[in-house]
Amino acid sequence: MKFYYFHLMPYPLEHGEPSSWVTLSNRHYDPAVGHVLYNQYLDQLEYAETLGWDGLCVNEHHQNCYGTMPSPNVMAAMLVRRTRRARIAILGNGLPLRENPLRVAEEIAMLDVASGGRVISGFVRGIGPEYYSTAVNPTHSRERFYEAAELIIRAWTEAGPFPFDGRFYRYPFVNPWPRPLQRPHPPVWCPSQGSAETVEWAARRRFPYLMVFTPIRRIAQIYGEYREACERSGYTASRYQLTVNLPIVVAESDAKADAIARRNALWVYHVGLRMPLQFWQPPGYTTEASLRRLLTAGLKLPTELSFEDLEAGGYIICGGPATVRDKLRVFADELRAGVVCSGFPAGTHEATLDMMQLFAEEVMPHFREDADVDETAGVGR
Amino acid sequence: MTRAREVTVRGVPVRLLSGGAGPALLFLHSAGGAGRWLPFQEHLARRFAVEFPSHPGHGGSPAAEWIEHISDLAFHYLDLLDLLGLERVHLVGASFGGWIAAEIAVMAAHRLKSLVLIDPVGIKVDGWIYPFLFAMDLPELVSTVFHDVTAALALVPRGEGPDTLLELARERAALARVAWNPYLYDPLLRRRLPRVTTPTLLCWGEHDRVASLACARVWAAELPDARLEIFGGSGHVPHLEEPARVAAVVGDFCAAREGAG
Repeated sequence: MKFYYFHLMPYPLEHGEPSSWVTLSNRHYDPAVGHVLYNQYLDQLEYAETLGWDGLCVNEHHQNCYGTMPSPNVMAAMLVRRTRRARIAILGNGLPLRENPLRVAEEIAMLDVASGGRVISGFVRGIGPEYYSTAVNPTHSRERFYEAAELIIRAWTEAGPFPFDGRFYRYPFVNPWPRPLQRPHPPVWCPSQGSAETVEWAARRRFPYLMVFTPIRRIAQIYGEYREACERSGYTASRYQLTVNLPIVVAESDAKADAIARRNALWVYHVGLRMPLQFWQPPGYTTEASLRRLLTAGLKLPTELSFEDLEAGGYIICGGPATVRDKLRVFADELRAGVVCSGFPAGTHEATLDMMQLFAEEVMPHFREDADVDETAGVGR
Repeated sequence: MTRAREVTVRGVPVRLLSGGAGPALLFLHSAGGAGRWLPFQEHLARRFAVEFPSHPGHGGSPAAEWIEHISDLAFHYLDLLDLLGLERVHLVGASFGGWIAAEIAVMAAHRLKSLVLIDPVGIKVDGWIYPFLFAMDLPELVSTVFHDVTAALALVPRGEGPDTLLELARERAALARVAWNPYLYDPLLRRRLPRVTTPTLLCWGEHDRVASLACARVWAAELPDARLEIFGGSGHVPHLEEPARVAAVVGDFCAAREGAG
């Protein structure tokens, strides 16, 4: 199994406002605190490479305290020059939110060339509140996503210049310099919440599918649908096309891990992802078929989840090293996920570094049967 | 007696309520007001043959994915007039429906005997930004749109299961498709308003918090032949808040234009 260190770069504010997105005033953001946080977070990502993680993940979110990386490519650029071996996974750029998605093709190519071909390029639509923050019409979201993805991949793979004339994006000359180093292009991943349309689209193109903060029974269901869609497209999915993103809390004992998780792991759900329903679901963002699926699936909003829900539902992994190994085995052997992306909500910076070390020493070595496998070979393109 | 039926306008199915007798009057509803024959329509139907279609995606009319601009809706209703064989009508539109009505008027004033705009949106007014209703929860939405919040009871959804929620989601999406950005206006509409030679009545709720009286004054100044009536007991939707009064003023205005050219 491959391990990717996933960072949200949260601004861990406690507040009583109804939303942590869109309307939470940025007067709550103290740049002096932000300076310390950014540098600690980057230190953690760099340390992850030292400890043996295979990849380092950054991601894009706007106008919120949940994740303070409006430009993941900026963070990736910092990591490229401070690391030598690990993959840099940008999970991902919010394509429909861009007015000029050719800029994504350019920036990813820059990072790929500078890093010697270590970049993984996630394509995402951006979540509901980001359509309020950017004013992009959410009813165009899906179509803009597909169109921008097609444009970017063509820009990476076809010799320019060529014209592109889409519904939303039009260019008389597509001809970006530089071109990416990886051939035919950097692997593309699809982080998603499981809409049927995205599953089908990603499977058809061999783009690895990443389930973010989802209960384990739904992960199993969506993985099944993805594998079936791959078969319909005439191939069998590699385990490295199935990726899971979930927080891990590991400590010397189950009891200690439990105490740490109760203190820290709930913030993401109860504060970080707190927002009213209309932000989660801007008009037209979700197709009627997927909306019906959501309405009848009986999923809880993040703020409705108790700690017991998180643990029992498999939203998080928490325990002493032996327990964490057992729980990871479920993902490795039963769900047959090939990549685990995780953050480690330990509390302080020092506690995070300690927890990372414990994980690297006591857990990671037990999942290294595939140490010599290149997880990006033949997938994502 | 009202009659409900479905007609097909250039391949687009439309739910249509019809009632009353007299000269033809086309009513274009506000967001959330689709398919509800309420006292306002009842009053008008005593003097006019009222045609009350649901916009595509609203009130049980299926969504039409090809609609991407407010002018698509204006052409859609000109097509409906052709289908119904109505050469000239009195056109009454409220809020979002008022915006569509104004777009129709700049395109085809010759099809209108009179134009009534009830708290329309649709133009950019310097110094005014329409509050972003898509971001509001229900209580905030109601207190923003209505001055008399009890009038909102007329629009309470008829069910609460997944089908009702999906219908509401479809309406929001249909509205967002044409009104998300620019939000609730067409940048080209205002400078075209001088083309509207049709006698126009502007009805406005004095306490409108969606489109303030400052907006009303701009409409009144830009339209060549407009009169402004202010309703002191209303917010953004006077036809729901003071239906009898508004219907009387509208009815008198349209009746006076009947046969006047």
